[in-house]
Amino acid sequence: MISFINILVNGLLMGGIYAITAVGLSMQYGVARILNIAHGEFIMVAAFLTWMLHTTLGINPILCLAIVGPILFVLGYLVRHYLFKTLKEKTPSPAAFEGNSMLMAFGLLFVIQSLATYIWGKNIVGYDFMRYSVYLGEIRFAANRLVIMITAVIICFLFYLFLTKTRTGKAIRASSQDPDAAALMGVDINRMLTLCFALGALMAGFAGVLLSMEYKLDTFMGMGHTIIAIIVMVLGGLGSIPGSLVGGFILGIFYGIVSGIEPGLTEAAYYLLFMLLLLFKPSGLFGR
Amino acid sequence: MTKRSVLFLVLAALLAAALIVAGCAEKEKTAEEKTEIVFGAARSYTGPLAIQDQSCFGPVYRLWIDEVNAAGGIYVEEYGKKLPIRLLKYDDTSDMNTMTNLLTKLIVEDQVDFILAPISTAFLKAAAQICNEHNFLLIGAEGGAKELEPLMKELPYFFSLLNYATHQVPPLAEMLAEHNIKTAAIIYIEDQHGLEYKNDLVPALEDAGIEVVFDKAIPMGVKDVSSIIEEAKSKNVQALLCCAYPDENFAVMNQCIASDYNPDVLLFGPGACFEVFYQIYGENSEGVMGWGAWNEKSSDKMKDLAERLIAHQGERNMDWWGMAIYYAGLEALQQAIERAGTLDHEQIRDILATEKFDTVIGELWFENGGVPAECYPGHVGQWQNGIFEVVAPKDKQTNKPIIPKPKWKPVTQEE
Amino acid sequence: MTNLSMTVKKNIPYIAISVLILALLAAVPFFSKPYTVVLLKNILMFAALTLSWALFSGPTGYISLATAAFYGVGIYTAAYLGKVLPLPVMVLCGGLASFLLALIIGAITLRLRGIYFAIFTLSSVELIKQVLHWFEITVLGTRGRPVVKISNTTVYYVVLLIVVLLMVTTYFLKRSRYGLAMSSIGSCEDAAAHIGINVTWVKVLTFALSSFFIGLTGATTATGLIYIDSHIAFDLNYSFFPTLMAIFGGIGNVFGPVIGAAVFSYLREILITRFPYAYMIIFGAVMILTILYLPNGIIGLVQTIKDKVLGGKDATASSRKVN
Repeated sequence: MISFINILVNGLLMGGIYAITAVGLSMQYGVARILNIAHGEFIMVAAFLTWMLHTTLGINPILCLAIVGPILFVLGYLVRHYLFKTLKEKTPSPAAFEGNSMLMAFGLLFVIQSLATYIWGKNIVGYDFMRYSVYLGEIRFAANRLVIMITAVIICFLFYLFLTKTRTGKAIRASSQDPDAAALMGVDINRMLTLCFALGALMAGFAGVLLSMEYKLDTFMGMGHTIIAIIVMVLGGLGSIPGSLVGGFILGIFYGIVSGIEPGLTEAAYYLLFMLLLLFKPSGLFGR
Repeated sequence: MTKRSVLFLVLAALLAAALIVAGCAEKEKTAEEKTEIVFGAARSYTGPLAIQDQSCFGPVYRLWIDEVNAAGGIYVEEYGKKLPIRLLKYDDTSDMNTMTNLLTKLIVEDQVDFILAPISTAFLKAAAQICNEHNFLLIGAEGGAKELEPLMKELPYFFSLLNYATHQVPPLAEMLAEHNIKTAAIIYIEDQHGLEYKNDLVPALEDAGIEVVFDKAIPMGVKDVSSIIEEAKSKNVQALLCCAYPDENFAVMNQCIASDYNPDVLLFGPGACFEVFYQIYGENSEGVMGWGAWNEKSSDKMKDLAERLIAHQGERNMDWWGMAIYYAGLEALQQAIERAGTLDHEQIRDILATEKFDTVIGELWFENGGVPAECYPGHVGQWQNGIFEVVAPKDKQTNKPIIPKPKWKPVTQEE
Repeated sequence: MTNLSMTVKKNIPYIAISVLILALLAAVPFFSKPYTVVLLKNILMFAALTLSWALFSGPTGYISLATAAFYGVGIYTAAYLGKVLPLPVMVLCGGLASFLLALIIGAITLRLRGIYFAIFTLSSVELIKQVLHWFEITVLGTRGRPVVKISNTTVYYVVLLIVVLLMVTTYFLKRSRYGLAMSSIGSCEDAAAHIGINVTWVKVLTFALSSFFIGLTGATTATGLIYIDSHIAFDLNYSFFPTLMAIFGGIGNVFGPVIGAAVFSYLREILITRFPYAYMIIFGAVMILTILYLPNGIIGLVQTIKDKVLGGKDATASSRKVN
């Protein structure tokens, strides 16, 4: 029994990691309508930056959030401003934009990945950060995963507050729900979408920093995280921050349980879960 | 359809035709004097396999070529002089179709003198057959496996280099039995590699009186293995043997620490043998085992090789399983070429198949297309104080095994 | 029928040129170096995949990323049946197996549109790969299997034949009532349903037809792989490449995907042989630039140049004909 509880707790902790990878993508697709296949590459870049800062300058990974996050924000801003904005202007219909932007994101994936390989090489890297267990009675928490989960929840909460309480946040939501009306009210839609994409990249940056505390890194790691992010995003509902959080937790627990039954089929099981969800509830758990 | 657009189309067609013909045109081949030996490589420089070029065979052949060229090249009697090596590199993008095409290109079009093996057992299998069709020598690199054995026997031009389950499992089982290990669990990757090790481990362990509590397959890229580790922990399994690839091995290692599971023996397939394992886990790597193995203490020659590899790469990027063996394979090839005095593959092949060579790992020779177990510098390694010590077989030991392995640290208890 | 013969008559120059190029391609193995055949075989293989992809995704606008699944099914058919069946039968089996799989996938993805369809088809590749993998390891106790090797020249001719079949199919399908139904789905699916088109049937059948050709291609080219396993057979790159090649070439007409595949795979060949490390970055940059500046692909560019060269009146007329 206690080991089952530990599996659940572990699933919950892993869920925090899955959730934080999905929030950014959910923003980018939910509002800016860009299915950013290169999302995982942004995460990878952030993770490598953290690794560099931690191993060469000895900066605490938690502090890296404040350094790496803004770097990714700027990167996201530039990408949206120079690439996707131009694409949007040239594409006739929103549906065509979705398809073309996904393909452009593929191009971006290749470029970022190979640039990262030039800079950091192809080797596996990683560092040791709080890799030990903390006990609460008999229930066990992996310290680094606990830190990741708590930080992820705090970030999601703050981000949610930003979107619902601040003026800019409200403007972003307005431009995603009804662009025409928002434009009439004097909202600069294009600026909002760029800001939104950049915020998505910022979230990818946070995710990368947190991930690097648990996973080993290599420059080809991005795609795996993108796929998880897409699944969690669909699970939680597009553009919904609480949805991504809950989706992440559900996936974490689901994964833990399936791997206890037939570990060989865990990957297959989550693709199946995902496909069934697409078929029967494409709007996700918290979708509009 | 106006005349003008017909004209346009005709022009376009002529252009296309010209391109096809130009692509097919034979290059004039002049009978020049031989000035270099060309090695062709269709290896994965991008894609998921690329990581192995960087961390396994890649640094070794780059060092070897530079060293041979610094010495003036390989002496070939037929030409009466030393010929430097030129490497012709193609990127197979980790794709089988591309690899087979490029390999054909290297052999039939570029007419290279020798081929460097592609990455992974699957690619090796395909490459061995293509090379053999053209009577081309192929010495394996990354990728050693029992499933290659039929090829080693059937294909005279293929030589397998790396040690695999057949060599490594018996010394491991012997060592575990000697240290009173009674229970073991096996995690293996869903693939031929994992399957082979599992199939060898189960009977070998049982013969040694060790109960195999469970064996579980995990898929590639698995992200959460907590259930398996919790099961091993709750059943108090003494030895956890994980036969997977680095990605999964690192995930299992993380989970063992997170689950605070301290088996007496913890072994990882390819993964623990890399220096990066120690760099990532530091103190926690103490006592963790892996297949392999060689290190700076194995012999003076190997110490020298390790130093040269580190200096050449400018970083401590080491593979304590294969690097010395790959280097020895290249040395054997060089000696075979020198002894044959020609670049003729049939003659070199005969020498490789029958003679012995003096290499960095000691005397090396091939039997039935493979290397006999006693040539290898070790089969099981264990991290001890930052050195991947050879702990089995006994006659190759650089240090005694630490069993049970030390507990994870630091462990905090809170109420 | 008169309508059809009229279209054929109008396009005689195109047909003549196609036949000329075809004859040239058919003659290649007689006078070229051995590797040229391998290279052209590879280009033709991508042309076949791209044409198949465009057959369904072009007019309907649904981006299918399941190409790798059907290609993989073709490869596995070759691995299982290559030893017992003669090449033509084995290749047909590969096509049929893919056809059936596409019927199933098509039937369950009916309700999905836009990006959801793309993600679903992408996941289906992974699902099949994982399940097959698990089945091979746990039930059959093995992984991977050899494929019977067939001479490159034979494979070359078979792939050439598939490409020709595909071009002919695409050409006539487009000019049939069926093709009209497909493009009306592409422009407005609800309206298409309203005017009495059996949207479901048209979509599923076209999807299956395109997969049939992908299966044929997979079964044929598998014979050059020698050894396969589920990760080699179901490689996601074979979903992405045809999509990119089609967009690169332009999906407006029959020649777009072929030109896209030819230029793209030739470019790839040059990059991986001359600049092994720079391959991905140049590839990615070309992709971004194409989508930004060549929204209608190479064929669109050719069209623009042609219109400029020929000038006013004829330009609009001929562009209408080609598109």
